Amino acid sequence: MILKNILKEVRQKNGFTQEELGANVGVSRQTIISIERYRYKPTLELAMKISKKLNIKIEKLFYFED
Amino acid sequence: MALSKKEISILIEIVFSIVFAFIFLPYFYENQDNNLILMDDLIGKIIEILIFTVIYFSVAYSLLEFVFKKKETKDERDDMINSKSYKLGYLLYEFSLFIFIGYVCSKFQNKELLNLTGNQELYNGFNITDVGIVFLILMLLAFISIVKSLYQFYLYRTV
Repeated sequence: MILKNILKEVRQKNGFTQEELGANVGVSRQTIISIERYRYKPTLELAMKISKKLNIKIEKLFYFED
Repeated sequence: MALSKKEISILIEIVFSIVFAFIFLPYFYENQDNNLILMDDLIGKIIEILIFTVIYFSVAYSLLEFVFKKKETKDERDDMINSKSYKLGYLLYEFSLFIFIGYVCSKFQNKELLNLTGNQELYNGFNITDVGIVFLILMLLAFISIVKSLYQFYLYRTV
């Protein structure tokens, strides 16, 4: 199972740049890029911060794919 | 290939290790069997290394701060990358300790064997000198530092 996400789509819908979203949740732009490319799995704390900021349920933002 | 401030600071460390290996290690390599080298010369060389290190890092990081004025956020990804690369560094340090002990033991063993043959010239060649030990330690440190930093750089580019 691979942990995927729809972060890029939701972020763009909310009008955030990677830099802005990173600054809002206290991480660097590179970290947001890595999450969007599925290279980096965020901690639960960061995942919750991002979902709260983007106003979306965490299980919708992050999902498992077989 | 756009590099971030963190990636450039890792490259600065890699360049330092390579420059250090090319400038200072030859001195220790050439004199590793030299029993006549004075302790003052050795201390002088170590002071030279320390001064070079301080100047190099001061200049390099000042330039880096000048070019990248914006402060970068340190986050959980940095912690993950650092923990992975430092773990590798730690394993290499442990491994190098075995190499160091093995080197010293083999020198002693060979020396005892050569003593039995009565060949004084060969016997003298198997001496462990202060410079020889310093050379081995510095070589291992430079190697570990380069491998650790390269791995850290690789993680920053791929994770």
